[in-house]
Order: sequence, then C-alpha cells, then structure tokens
Amino acid sequence: MTLPDVAPGMTDPITIAVLQSRLNAIAEEMGEAMLRTSYSQILNSSRDFSIAIVDAGCRLVAQADHIPVHVGAMPWAARAVAEAFPDPAPGDVFLLNDPYHGGSHLPDLTALMPVFAAGGALQFWSVVRAHQSDIGGSTHGGYNPGATDIWQEGLRVPPIRLTENGIVRDDLVGMLAANTRNARDFRGDLAAMVGAARLGTRHLATVLEEVGADVLRASVDAMLDAAERHARAIVATWRDGAYDGVARLDDDGHGALDIAIRARVTVAGSDVTVDLTGSDPQVAGFVNSSHANMQSAVAMAFAYLLDPDCARNDGAFRPLRVLARIGTVVWAREGAPVTLCTSHCSNEIVEAVIAALSGACPDRAMGGWGRRFRLALTGQDARTGRRFIWHLFHARPGGGASSAGAGWPAAGEWHSVGGIKFASVEVTEARFPLVLEHHEFRAGSGGAGRHCGGDGAELVLRVEAEGVCVANTAGDGVRHGARGIGGGADGLPHRYTLDVPGAAPQVLRTKQPGIVVPPGSRFRIASGGGGGWGEP
Amino acid sequence: MTGYAIGIDVGGTFTDVVVCAPDGTITVAKAATTPADQSEGVLEGLRLAAAQLGLALPVLLAATTRMVHGTTVATNALLEGKGARVGMLTTLGHRDIIEMREGLKPDRYDLRVPPQMPMVPRALRLPVRERMRADGSVEAPLDEASLHEALEALAAADVRSVAICFLHAWRNPAHERSAAEAARRRLPDAYVTASSDVLPEIKEYERFCTTVANAMVGPVVQFYLARLAEVLSEAGLARPPLIILSHGGVATVEEAGRLAAGTALSGPAGGVAAAAALSRLGAGTELVAFDMGGTSTDIALLRGGAAALSDGRGVGGVRIALPSLDIVSLGAGGGSIADIGPSGLLRVGPASAGAVPGPACYGRGGSLATVTDADLVLGYLDPTLGGALALDPAAARAALARLGAELGMGVMEAAAGVHRLVNARMADGVRVATVRRGVDPRGFALLAFGGAAGLHVGAVAAELGVRRVLVPVQASVLSAWGMLNTDLTVHLARSFAEAGGLDPAALARAYAAMEQEGRARLAGFEGPTTTARSADLRYGEQVFEVSVPLDGLDLDAADARAQIEARFHARHEALFTYALPDQDVVLSNARLAVTGHLPPLPNAAPGAPSGSARPGSRRVWLDGWRDVPVWDLAALAPGQALTGPALIQSATTSVLLRLTDHARNDARGWLEINIGGIEKTPR
Repeated sequence: MTLPDVAPGMTDPITIAVLQSRLNAIAEEMGEAMLRTSYSQILNSSRDFSIAIVDAGCRLVAQADHIPVHVGAMPWAARAVAEAFPDPAPGDVFLLNDPYHGGSHLPDLTALMPVFAAGGALQFWSVVRAHQSDIGGSTHGGYNPGATDIWQEGLRVPPIRLTENGIVRDDLVGMLAANTRNARDFRGDLAAMVGAARLGTRHLATVLEEVGADVLRASVDAMLDAAERHARAIVATWRDGAYDGVARLDDDGHGALDIAIRARVTVAGSDVTVDLTGSDPQVAGFVNSSHANMQSAVAMAFAYLLDPDCARNDGAFRPLRVLARIGTVVWAREGAPVTLCTSHCSNEIVEAVIAALSGACPDRAMGGWGRRFRLALTGQDARTGRRFIWHLFHARPGGGASSAGAGWPAAGEWHSVGGIKFASVEVTEARFPLVLEHHEFRAGSGGAGRHCGGDGAELVLRVEAEGVCVANTAGDGVRHGARGIGGGADGLPHRYTLDVPGAAPQVLRTKQPGIVVPPGSRFRIASGGGGGWGEP
Repeated sequence: MTGYAIGIDVGGTFTDVVVCAPDGTITVAKAATTPADQSEGVLEGLRLAAAQLGLALPVLLAATTRMVHGTTVATNALLEGKGARVGMLTTLGHRDIIEMREGLKPDRYDLRVPPQMPMVPRALRLPVRERMRADGSVEAPLDEASLHEALEALAAADVRSVAICFLHAWRNPAHERSAAEAARRRLPDAYVTASSDVLPEIKEYERFCTTVANAMVGPVVQFYLARLAEVLSEAGLARPPLIILSHGGVATVEEAGRLAAGTALSGPAGGVAAAAALSRLGAGTELVAFDMGGTSTDIALLRGGAAALSDGRGVGGVRIALPSLDIVSLGAGGGSIADIGPSGLLRVGPASAGAVPGPACYGRGGSLATVTDADLVLGYLDPTLGGALALDPAAARAALARLGAELGMGVMEAAAGVHRLVNARMADGVRVATVRRGVDPRGFALLAFGGAAGLHVGAVAAELGVRRVLVPVQASVLSAWGMLNTDLTVHLARSFAEAGGLDPAALARAYAAMEQEGRARLAGFEGPTTTARSADLRYGEQVFEVSVPLDGLDLDAADARAQIEARFHARHEALFTYALPDQDVVLSNARLAVTGHLPPLPNAAPGAPSGSARPGSRRVWLDGWRDVPVWDLAALAPGQALTGPALIQSATTSVLLRLTDHARNDARGWLEINIGGIEKTPR
C-alpha cells in the first residue's frame, strides 16, 4: 500500500483523516441549514439543492450527497467566478446561473463565498446551488418547451458580486426578484442560500485558524490523491477495450425525433475515456446540454459505477477524460436553449455511458432509472386569493434493477436516484387547490429481467382552482422507456393524459406549453418503470 | 409514606436494578438479561437486590412506593423484524404510502442494493372507500361495504394487529373511529390502533409509519407489560410499575400499552434522565451527555437542565415520529475497527468488532485493531479491568503493529493515531449535532458515561473547546439510576390548518383543551403538576418548523401575536444566521407537555473512602512514555484534587487525565475535570 506523498513535517495520515471528517461534517451541516430554511417547496420538500466545498484551484474537495447531477458541475461554477473576479474579498457573495458562464441551466442558481486564510490568500469556495421555482422567461416555473433560444428561458445571471463590502445589495436582489414570478419565494430561498454559504465560510475559517493553511492544503492534496487511488483500483478491474453505448431522447419539441447520444468509452488500465463526439448535432429545443452539465453527467455515470464508499471529490474523477464537440446536443453553442438538460439530456448521457460500460463491468452496470416528465401548474387559489405555482414531484418513475436485485419502485431518475422527496399529500391538498384522488404504484411498469426494474406510479390529480389554470410540461420518455441492461427489458414509458370535463381525454406531450386546465379537470399520470437487469 | 424506589433497566446483556432506600442509600444488583421473557431477569435482579439489603423479596416489594422500568421489548421486536403481523386499512387510492417512502432511497451512490421490504406487504394494505378533505370536511363518506370486505380479508389473513390510516384523519378522525369500532367487533382479539390516536398531526407518511410501528409492537408490549405487572404483583409489589418512554417521561402500564411504539426508543432514555437528574443536583444546566459504548456513542443535549425532544427517529428502518429524546448516535465506540480503507487513508468505524469476536485483546478470535486495543496498547486501559476480565496486551499490540506497518509508522504512533482519529470523529459528531441545533458546544460541559467514555472525553472536550467534563460516580448503572429521577409526562400536540395564520386566541383554546386532556391522562396522580407550552412555527412556504417555547407569554395580551413572532425571529436567527421579519409567520403545531412531578429521592452522602488513598503507577503513552499515578476512584477523599497526567480507575470505568487536565473529586461523588490547554491544532 503506497501512502500519501506529502511534504515531510507538513501533515500525516492521521491529520488527513481527521481533516477529511471535519470537511465532510461542514458540508453536511450546510445542507441541513439549507433544508430547514429554504422557502419554496422544490427546495425544502423536494430537496433540489446541493452543497460543495471547492479549493482555491477550483477542485471539488467535499460535498454533501444531495443531487448527483449538481455536484460534478460545481467546480465549473467556481472557475467561472474566479475568472470573472480575480479579486474576491472576505464577505463577498457571488451568484451565477448562466449556462454559458459556468452554470448548468437557468433555474439552478449558485451562490459562492470565498474563504481566506487569516490575512492571507484565497483557500476555498463555499458553494450552494439551489433550483429556483421560477426564473422569469416566457413561461412560469423555469421550463419553457417552446423556447428556441436562451433569452426565452429566463433571466441569465453571469457571475455577479451580490455584495458590497460584505453586505448583500438590496438593489441587486430587488432586480433579480423583479424578474421572477414569485419574488417572495425567490427572496426567501436566496436568503437561505446565502445563510448556508456563510455557515460554511465560518466553519472553514475556523479550521484554517486551527491547523494553518499549509497543513490544510497539504491534507486536501492527500485526500484527493487517496480518492484517485481508490477509483483507479476499481477501474483497473474492468475489462480493457472500446465500448459503444447509445441512448435516445424522444424529441426536442420542435420536430427532431429520436435524438441520439453516442458514447464510445475506452477502458485502458485504470483510465477511462468517454468520447461523446458522435452524438447528434444540437437541436432547436431545450434538450441541449450546457458544457458544465455534460461534464457533470459523465462524472455522475462514472460515480455510479464506483463503490458507494469512494470519496466523491476531484481525485476520484482524475481517471476520467471526456471528449465532446461543441455544436452537438451534449454541448450547445452559446445562445441555444438548455433548460431541460439537467434531466434531459443528462439522463441519456448517463445511460449511454453505463450501457457502454456494461461490457467492461457487467456486474456494476445497472438498468436504466426513469426519465423525468415535469408538469408545472399555475393559477389562482380561491382560499387565499394568491397565485400559486405547483411542480409535479409525485408519481416518481421506477429505479433500475442491478446485479444485487430488483429496482426501487417510485424512486426517480438518473439525475436524483432516490434523492428527491415528494411532498405530503395532505400538505399538498392543504396548500394548493388540488386533490390527489389516487397515488399508487403502476403495476408491471418495471422492465422484466433476472432482476426486474422498479415500478413507476399512477396519479389522478383533480384541479379545484378558481378559474382556469395553465400547465406546461417539460420532459421526455413517452417513446423510450428506461433501458434494460444485460438482456433485461426496458421499463414502460410514461403516459400522461388530461381529462377536461365535457371533452375527450387528451394525451399530453412531454414538451407542451400553455395547456388550458379548467376547474374540475383531472390529470391522469402514469410514470415509467425502471429497466430490468439480466435475461429474464 | 416514602418507601423504597426501584429503577430497572433491561439492557442487551445485563438487567440493572438500582434500589434507593428511604434514607437515600443506593443498592445495585445486576442479573443476566433473559431475552425470551425479560420479566425473569427482572425478578432475578430484584431477588439479588433484596438479598443485598437483607430483606425477603416480598418485604422489599411491599415497601416499594415507586418502581420505574425501561424495556427493550419494542425495540428488539423492530430490530429483529419480529413484530406482529399487521393488516392496514387505508384510504382507497393511497395504499402504497408507506412503501413509496416519499420517493426517497438512502445512500445516493449505492445503486446496487435491492429495495427495502415494506413494514406491511401490499396484500395486507387494504383500501377502504372513504375520503376526507384537507379542511376536515367529508369528500366521500365511509363505505360500509368496502370496510366489511377489507376486514373479512384481514380476518382471513389472520392478522394480529390492525393499523387504521386514513388521509386527513388528524383533522377529522370520524372515519378512523368508525373503522376502529368495526375492526374491534370483527377482530376482537386483535390490537387495533388508529393514526388519529397515535399521532394526530399532518403529514401522512410519518403518521402512517408510526401507526404501523405501533401495531407491530403493540401486542408484544401489551402482553409483556401485563405479564410483568402480574408477576410483580404476585411477588408482593403493591403499586404497579411505571414504564419509561422514548421522551424520557414515565407512564402507566395501560398508557404504555396503548402507545406501545412510544417505548421503542426508551433504551437510552434512562441515561438522559440521569443527566437531567445530575443537572438538578448541581452538575450545571448546559450539558452534553456523552455515552460511549461498544459500537456507538450516543449524544444528547441538555439546555437549562432539560433534554431536548426531537420529532422522532427510525428504529430498525421503521420511522417513529413520536416525541423522543433528541439522541444522536455516532458510529464510533470502543469496538470500532481501525483499518486502512480502499483509498489508503486510515479510518475508524463504522465497522465494529462487536462482542464477538470483539477487540483483539479480548482473545475471542478477533485480530483487527479496535479503539479498545489502542487504549490498551497506550497503557490507558488496565489489562485486568479491575480484575473482572483479563485482556491480552500482546494481541492488541500485534494488531496495532500490523496497522502501523501499513501506515508506515510504529506501533505506538499507530495506537496514538487511532485514539486521535476516533476522538476527532466523535468531536465532529458532537459539533454537527450541537451546531445543527443552534448551540455552540463551547459553552457546555461534557457528561461522560458508558465504559469507554472516560479515556476519550478529555481529548474530545479539548477538540471542541469545551473546558469542563463530569464523570458521575453512578456511571456504570446510570440508566437505571436515572429512571428513579423521572416524572409522569404526557406530550400532546394540535396541528393547525395551513391557511389559518397565527391566531393567539385559537392557540389559547388549543392549550386549554390539551391541558384538560393531559390532566385526564394523569388521572389518579395526586402530586403537583406543571405544563410547558411550545409552538412549531415557520415562515410562509418553509416546510420545517422551529420549536419555540411559549411559556410565560400571555396569549390574551394585545400584542401576543407580535411577541410570539419576535420569539420565532430570534430563534430562527440563532439557528440559521438570519431572520425574515417582514415575512408571514405560520403556526403549524401547538405542543403541550403535562408533567406530574414525583417527589425527589433523598440523596445520601457519599460513603467513606474505601480503598487505598495512595496511587499505584503505570507507564502510559502521551507523546512518549511516562509513568503516571493510577488512583482508585473509590479511595479518593471528598474534595481531593488531582493533576494530570493521571489515571483514575474503578471496577467499571477508567478516566484519563491528560497532561494539562486537572480534576477534583466532588463532594457529591463525581469527578469534575477542568480541561487545560485547549488545543489549537489537532496535532
């Protein structure tokens, strides 16, 4: 066993382990603060946020396990801020969401605070990323299936300094809030994000004071090297070779059908190269990926194939090299719409990579997890007189089966894998003019196999708003179900319909804006099952 | 009127019995725990205690005015999956709530793991046609035919318990009550429990899981408690025993049987009750109870002398959302294994050597280095353990030498490294647990108990910046002793409608109703009672509430609402670094604790020093070998001061004073340690 290579006298294996425990505890605590203080349902109930600590070199050092698709993208956000602001000062809060400047998609707002050694140089960034319930643009709820450019998708925030002399600028917050449809939620969530980031800076500063910047830096280097060794030891057990995997999106909502993500994955010793250059060209609709999101999706697929106890920091991803071409669906040119990309085409990137690697490590590859089919509903609640925006998180799709057994029922998609909580039925009915008449498993929807994919779910949702509501959908997976692996069958695809009183049922498309929903209408939602594993 | 008071704690291995005589003297007995029928071990422990007192058992029991019992019957049933076969009646269209787990799966990056088995299989989760709306009005009346059909199916399936779980039943329990009556008629031998009885609060996942848990453990707990009461009564006990619950209060046998799931977390409750009792006896009001066991370390916070409650925890993967003492369990203890992980970094725990094979030094076949082995190699642990058990230092040394070779360091450096890392991990655990609860641990004292705590608590305190550590003399039977220092307590809650705003008058009505109900539950209790009010509040769209004490606040005052809001803003700011004074404050639950105070036990003066007052000596490793004095705890004179480095030993515990620590043997019979030289670096 080789040992961490550090400057003599700087640190030792015990100190490294002690500090790793400490940094993880700080990330965990930041996440807990965020969960308990955030304002909108999408954060405090559905937990669509993530925490990271990255170092001055923008390397991921520690994270709390929240939303996997966020985590690999955080270092890119830190890089964009570091580039735009070479002179961060203590107390600064930076903000960004622009997918063409380090962000993933517009709804994911990221707050970053620098951490300094006492009177010295920049050491860390304390990072909080959270999905906003609205970010402006021409439709409510952040997802605009009609968009053919990013300006129709919402407010772009390239890296900005939100503070002046460590005080949050009310004028800037006011400007941002004015560009969203629910300023109250936005302000509450932003306060929670800044609070959590500040908590992180405070604790990191304490550690720096206790051990000194030199010891902490050397220990961080050793932690990352250790994770690299762990990851390489696993990859070294995979069969060398070049493997191909393809996954297909249904459509882009603007005429392009069966859009292919092609991954050629080469395993050589302990190195893995993922080549996505063969993927289809970028499309008109919002299923294109930003660069940071594409990188994060590949990292996510790789992390799923490692061991659960492998540290997920910069070191663990060093064996991985990603090749992609700008102008393809996985890496769009500036200006293209990308809002759906954290779900789609992220999920297809993951599936293509895992399908390819099922040839190299069949017992590690798992059946496909569900695809996301969102629904955002807005209208007026007669009980409060307030406008509401409701996001569908119920009726989770099924998880993929694995060599260990069946898939988890109603556990979600590749990008969250059981990390998104749906709100209590009772709380939903109390807060929104909605009745969830039926919400149960969708029997038989998981793909068959030696181990079956997890079932999706069925939801019958009655709308009781005052007057007409408007719904938008955003998603994929009514043509292609979650993929089976190693001879397992695909899961059933989604099927959503809307029953308006006195009209024939209408089958909903996955990218459909402006759906008119009169009172008494019922959504009948059937989510897809997970992919099976192995020959039945 | 004062007679004997007896505390009985059934642990995994031993059943501890502590008897407090009318003059305050304490007698301790230990019997082997009898898992098949815990009442046998209880009776044996009582016989041993009576014999020590020179009394016949019936004489002791006849003179006993209070007996408090902690049982692990419910906990074991859940951990071992041996709960009763439960049938569930639930709202049509919603039978999968408990298996859907709110969409969550543990361990985000572990995708090769099969799904958990649901607590009740789908075939026994039967739909009943009925529906309440969110405001408590009836959307669909209870359909007798579907109820009948479901009950027939449960009868055919031979279920032992029925859990009735309807949507919005916390708001309007009418349908659940009718269904419960029908279930009792059709299945007269079954344990029938309804969600609106068990946990009348909004959020169906928590409420249903807790109700199902209650149904799983109800029959076995009821059976056991009835049998225990009968056995004790036959043996001469005049007053039936009281049962300690997860929230640290005690209840009658009947009440504990009705809310059986409320006993599932009672295991560590005695220890926390003891901490509260020690606080009353002068240990200070701000304490972290630090109970270091073999596989885990349990931490609880006491503020103002009172232990905080949480809204429940999981036991054996089953969520129980009843008020429970807020105890955090860290996966590090004396048996935690130290090894090199796949990344090449040293790790300690969460894997544990357990009792078998145990640490290498137990000589039971274990060869992996544990925290206990490190403590032995470092000289901190007496190899004879006060004569109780001989440890094998050579085996411990060999295990640490192997670990050291892998780390490229000597055996002593490796042992010191394990000691340091486990201390750091426990300190991180305490830090997350305390800061998460809005508390800075530096203002607290650590209260150490459990066999291994004394060797680690000083370093943990230093790491946290805590200056004061207490080791009570009762350390080894603290849990049973703590049970003698509890009160009768009932916790009640009322949920408020989402759109209802914050109305002090409605709050006052809720407290009045709860007070009436609470006092009714304590019917027959004649001593003094007190109440404590709190409210769960949040900002508009937040989901998690913050509990805000409302004692001393006049709800009839003109500015009552502003006062409540001000308390909430202050608490939110303390917890999360900010407040939003211009936002709506929403009331979610009002909570009331009604406590019937049992008379305090007499406190005996400590006995005269019994052993040799002159210390022995041992070589221990503290950044190098040195000879340190070894004191016998029982031999210390009241008020005697000690200076580190030193070891203090008793039959059941050892305490390490580090170089800069000072200790005093308190007149009340506990060791008070001042942590010197709070370390700035973990080096």
